[in-house]
Amino acid sequence: MLKYIGRRSLYSIPILFGVTLVMFLLFNVAGGDPAGQAAGRYASAKQIEEVRHQMGLDKSLVMQYFDLLGQIFTLDFGSSWSSKQPVSRLLADGIGPTMSVSVPAFLLSLLINVPLGLLVAYRRASLFDKGMVVTCLAMLSISSVVYVLAGQYVLAYKFGIFPVSGWDPDILGRFHYTALPVLILLVLFLGGDLLFFRTVFLEEMHQDYVRTARSKGVSEGVILFKHILRNALVSIITLVALEVPFLIVGSILIESYFGIPGVGNLVVTAIQEADFPVIKAMTILSAVVYIFFQLVSDVLSALVDPKIRLE
Amino acid sequence: MFSKLSVILTVLLAATACTKKNEAPDNSITFPLRANVKGLDPLRDDNEFSFEPIGLVNESLLQYNYLKRPMVVEPLLAEAMPEVSKDGLTHTFKIRKGVRFNDDAAFPGGKGREMTVKDFVYSWKRIADAKNSSDGWWIFDGKIKGFNEWREKIGKGEATYDTPVEGLETPDDYTLKIHLTQPYFQLYYVLTMGYSAVVPKEAVDKYGAEFLNHPVGTGPYMFESWIRNNKITLTKNPTWHGGTYPTEGEPGDKEKGLLADAGKPLPFADKVIFLEIVEDQPRWLNFLKGITDASEIPKDNFDKAVKKSGDLQDDLAAKGFNLQTFLDQEVVYISFNMDDPIVGKNANLRHALSLAFDQATALTKFYNDRGIFAQSPIAPGMDGYDPEFKNPYKEYNIEKAKEYLKKAGYPDGKGLPVIEYSESSGSTGRQSSEYLQQQWEKIGVKVNIAQNTWPQFTERIKHKKAQVFGIAWGADYPDAQNMMQLLYGPNESPGPNNANFKNKEFDGLYEKTLKMPPGPERTALYKKMRDIFVDQQPWIPTIHRKGFIISQGWINNIKRSKMIPAMFKYLRVDLDKKKELKAKL
Repeated sequence: MLKYIGRRSLYSIPILFGVTLVMFLLFNVAGGDPAGQAAGRYASAKQIEEVRHQMGLDKSLVMQYFDLLGQIFTLDFGSSWSSKQPVSRLLADGIGPTMSVSVPAFLLSLLINVPLGLLVAYRRASLFDKGMVVTCLAMLSISSVVYVLAGQYVLAYKFGIFPVSGWDPDILGRFHYTALPVLILLVLFLGGDLLFFRTVFLEEMHQDYVRTARSKGVSEGVILFKHILRNALVSIITLVALEVPFLIVGSILIESYFGIPGVGNLVVTAIQEADFPVIKAMTILSAVVYIFFQLVSDVLSALVDPKIRLE
Repeated sequence: MFSKLSVILTVLLAATACTKKNEAPDNSITFPLRANVKGLDPLRDDNEFSFEPIGLVNESLLQYNYLKRPMVVEPLLAEAMPEVSKDGLTHTFKIRKGVRFNDDAAFPGGKGREMTVKDFVYSWKRIADAKNSSDGWWIFDGKIKGFNEWREKIGKGEATYDTPVEGLETPDDYTLKIHLTQPYFQLYYVLTMGYSAVVPKEAVDKYGAEFLNHPVGTGPYMFESWIRNNKITLTKNPTWHGGTYPTEGEPGDKEKGLLADAGKPLPFADKVIFLEIVEDQPRWLNFLKGITDASEIPKDNFDKAVKKSGDLQDDLAAKGFNLQTFLDQEVVYISFNMDDPIVGKNANLRHALSLAFDQATALTKFYNDRGIFAQSPIAPGMDGYDPEFKNPYKEYNIEKAKEYLKKAGYPDGKGLPVIEYSESSGSTGRQSSEYLQQQWEKIGVKVNIAQNTWPQFTERIKHKKAQVFGIAWGADYPDAQNMMQLLYGPNESPGPNNANFKNKEFDGLYEKTLKMPPGPERTALYKKMRDIFVDQQPWIPTIHRKGFIISQGWINNIKRSKMIPAMFKYLRVDLDKKKELKAKL
């Protein structure tokens, strides 16, 4: 297994290399002129050149790309061009607030979706199943902005159950502000994930081992929660692994509407202001997290399913 | 088991949601900002979101009178307005004695020390020092003797902050003589700006890059905390040097109750809290819930909030809300790139395009009628603005437009290549570009819309790649010079003259006005420049936007101007009214 992990880690190097190259080219070809923007509206050509020099943008593209690789290697992405703060600090400050919203919503969605998916699959073709499928499809077809706008207007403004937006740095106090964004994220997770789990469980329900268990008189509860759930774990792990990067990068929509000072909020501001140091750090971080959790998913799948061999 | 757990978690979530947290203290003012703040160092006073918190913590030599319009400059940290030499080149400021920086760990024993003129020289050198990359250098660039040379030298490591600047003389701790290279009649305006505010060297040294997050100044409020992208809290500075509410304003201020607190000591509120709320809906709902004390009105909520007559809708008025309107000193315009071989070389074509643009419909559709038609670059309240003046090419007249198009050599648009209109992405921008496209198609002019992100958009303009584009300019000070410099030839892109307009007569007049004090002679020249502008039409000036600010009934003394950063020091909370009205929300 260690050999496999080592080999997969090595494979991730060209992937990361590709990500950095695409990002670098996109920023330099389509990203506008950050020096002109940073120098301000009165800046002369000379002053823009001074700023360009300070930003290191007067170097050749090849040298700039090597600088970028150096930053990735040292994990030092410098300072934000916009706020002048070290990028590492901005990210460190943002990850906590982001996870305060994304992690509870994700865990709750798993707690609800997995048993509900099992139940829906178990009662396949019943009115309950059909109703759930239609509801999930309807939920998926509605834009996530609608949930945010409606949730904020109805639950926060009209009924006053939650605050409209805000944040409290105190860990206990922040639940007051994160409750509604968590609830909305949870709803956003529900539609797609529930349909996914339903499909996974349905596939398992038609396997021979389920028929055998039933013919042996094993109770439905044991079949569902012991056999089917366990065999479906590989798919569950894959989904979780795909969604974990999101837990760290956060939801841009939720964070900007609810004033959560997280990574998603940081990304929006960085894109608006062509803040390349922040954008590149975020892109690399996302790629690394994604690759890492893919690997974790493979390893865990092998652990829970002896049929899977890591080669 | 899973379901039980989820029910428990949901109940916990709802229970915590209902707990009231972080209720602002009563005598505080909470104001939403519609963008995230970049930093609180006066060096970064480059946008309207940083400028309000900066203006409360860091003060400058001068300030605008809060109530008078047109704007009047008066002393702030200066003891009086400066003495000026006969040639207008030396301005001698005496500063207030006994002014202290707010208490901070940067000072020995945590006690703020007394401010001297040397602090101003230090602060202004920070702007000049290119490695600080402040975009505020333009306020002094080429204006003060020896300052540009100092900037060059420090860039090369040949000078330090101790190296004197010829034009910044400090004969004693309370006297600052500014020696100019040429008359600079906008000097007093720029000395009201946050860029010119005084900061203590000790704090800059102690906090280094963190000074951006931890400002120290002499202002009525001092920094308490900042959760980036969320909330800035300022608290009353107990060692502030003091100031009183103005005793005079413009006609009508007394009737509006704006002089009720005349002569009373400032500031009134114990805390000022800025909430960074970038989205319109939460900003608006927070106001309606009474979480924030005032708010701009988002475009999508405007009709529900304001009647056609300009008054508040009855349901909002019943809640005790107040509405203030103010004309921003700015101009929105469609600019032609005068270096472009098609649109830049044919005044008749530009006139035709101007005449074919139905601005009245555009004002209603895209601005909810929040503005007045612009006839020239000069904004209301500025020297040279004439409310009676009508630009002959600003009427909507399709037939006349067609005539001009024919004169331009393109009858019914025949032979005219497709015009490219650049805009910065956004739903409103896209809709207004499509509207423009439809308008010009009526006379046979075909338009291709180029959508850009804001950085791409600015790059296209700075590199003279945009053919026609929509943009706006908010004045930095209430002098028409700030608008006319946008048309001065040597300021062409990447400078502020984005239209790349070059006209010898216009440039000559502009240079002449720079050497003239405000007065009828200068005003006459501004009008002459305006006429050249109209004749050549490098832009189609569209509107001067009107600002609307809605406030809770318990907030007194709001008179907004985007040039006055310290509005909050004048605002008073009526605590009894707050208790009464908040119950209705």
